[in-house]
Amino acid sequence: MSETLLQTDGLTKRFGALTANDGITLGVDRGEIRGIIGPNGSGKTTFFNSLTGFYTPDAGTVTFEGTDITGWDSHRIARQGIGRTFQIAAPFGNMTVRQNMLAVQTPKSVDEHERAQEILEFLDIDHIADDDASGMSGGQKKLLGLGRVLMLDPACILLDEPTAGVNPALADRILDHLRDLNDDGTTFLIIEHDMDVLKQIVDTVSVLDQGQHIVQGTFDEVSTDDRVREAYLGSADEDEVPI
Amino acid sequence: MGAENDLSIRNRIQALLDRDDAHLWLFAAGTLFLTVLPLALNTFWTRIALGVLLWVGLAQSWNMIGGYAGYLDFGHGAYFGAGAFVTGIVMTELELPFVAGLLIAGVFCAVLAYAVGVPTLRLSGAYFAIATWAFAEAIKELALIIEITGGTYGMTIPTGPGTAGIPLVGWPDEMFFYYLMLVLTLGTIALAYWLFEHSEFGFRVKAIRDHEDAAQSLGIDATKIKRRVYVLSCAIAALFGSANAYYITFVHPNDVLAPIITDQMIIMALLGGLGTIGGPIIGGVLIFLLNRMTSLFLGQTTLYLPLIGVLIMGIVLFAPSGVVGILRGEVGREDVKRNLRELAEKFNIL
Repeated sequence: MSETLLQTDGLTKRFGALTANDGITLGVDRGEIRGIIGPNGSGKTTFFNSLTGFYTPDAGTVTFEGTDITGWDSHRIARQGIGRTFQIAAPFGNMTVRQNMLAVQTPKSVDEHERAQEILEFLDIDHIADDDASGMSGGQKKLLGLGRVLMLDPACILLDEPTAGVNPALADRILDHLRDLNDDGTTFLIIEHDMDVLKQIVDTVSVLDQGQHIVQGTFDEVSTDDRVREAYLGSADEDEVPI
Repeated sequence: MGAENDLSIRNRIQALLDRDDAHLWLFAAGTLFLTVLPLALNTFWTRIALGVLLWVGLAQSWNMIGGYAGYLDFGHGAYFGAGAFVTGIVMTELELPFVAGLLIAGVFCAVLAYAVGVPTLRLSGAYFAIATWAFAEAIKELALIIEITGGTYGMTIPTGPGTAGIPLVGWPDEMFFYYLMLVLTLGTIALAYWLFEHSEFGFRVKAIRDHEDAAQSLGIDATKIKRRVYVLSCAIAALFGSANAYYITFVHPNDVLAPIITDQMIIMALLGGLGTIGGPIIGGVLIFLLNRMTSLFLGQTTLYLPLIGVLIMGIVLFAPSGVVGILRGEVGREDVKRNLRELAEKFNIL
């Protein structure tokens, strides 16, 4: 019997007249890799922001490892075990790669330097550890973004387009790292527009449309679902679906 | 040929500065130089050197919140003034020596900064700047109307033998004040260096400045860290205000709480290079000497203000990373040309 790690119940976020997340109820099991997809403006990033404390939901709850974390400050949620990356991977400027890692607020019991070194080695960017982080390539910045999150030793990581703008070879490397981390028990929620990437890695997919969670299932199940076709194309009768 | 030489000298300086222990040696050499310096100076030049130390220290204190944390504090001078008045009150009303006034001024302003920081640090950008400016104005007006500060009459600080409260210090003279400022300034620089350039705390402060949301998502409690930086930087400004008050022996709200106090700190940090250790040192030395020298050689006490204005415009437009940025080679001739071209296009000059 799988254990639910992260659960939202009726999660709602409004911006004036716009309901960006409309009663999203969704559960993610421990050790799962869940893809979050949906057309532009369907509320994916808002959902991430509500989960991680950047937005306070107008209604509904977020439960993580059995604790209600709804409305918690984002730094507290991070310390609780939910890490996230942003769509645009921006290292902290005027700092080396290693210093970027050391900036992360790790638990007091952790040897930050040792941990940073281990993660940099794991991600194969230890050779540039003492270089200025702003000089990194786009893909390396994505790896650093992931590395910083790993400093938190999170049970769950939310990734917003982890391979966007990254060359295919490096994208494959990022996916390999995600699989390795998942094998070690890390749970992932991934927003990704590239369906080829997504189908390589996810266990299940949740589809959002107009702020609502419309379908959940395996990649193959959702890609043949009429509601998903309609969400993307406006009609279930069209032949070509982007997923 | 000249350019090649420049490049090689720059490269050599850079190579020296890139050494792990370079800053330590630089600091040790600077400390030694500044310790023996007054032996070669007469009273007048000792006072100039003392002023340089005061302003370098103040600019460095502002740089902590303004440069490293990126919060443009336009009310920093309020703590300099408050430190002066608290010291005066402790020495006159409580009849305690200067050293007690210094410590109490630091603690009082730390508490005051905490109270001010709680609401204002929730603001960002121009809103924080306006709120802190308004706070400083309020403090100044308050000091002008309440009795304990002497109101519009100002306040005389006790001086003479025994008032310092420090063993071996008799009548506090220029030498005493020089070394007092030296200790405070070097202490501030060493603290800033260790805290902001070498500790995880400093990395977190810079992370918040660069991307507050990302920092928060990495477990960093931005509110708490910003408040700590603000409290520290304001308490240091108060220590300098306290020492300066004891030195000048008379404080008036229109002097020690004047907006120009904050303005100068900002200009010094900006000219030298925001968020760097060297910036406020270079900016402090240049601006203070410009101020004194225009007064000394041109007999003008205000001429340096328009000069500073031109300097600031030049820095903001052409070398936003300040003198330190130019020394590091971040701003080259090509950048200046490009900036000039962009400016000319913006104003349709070309």
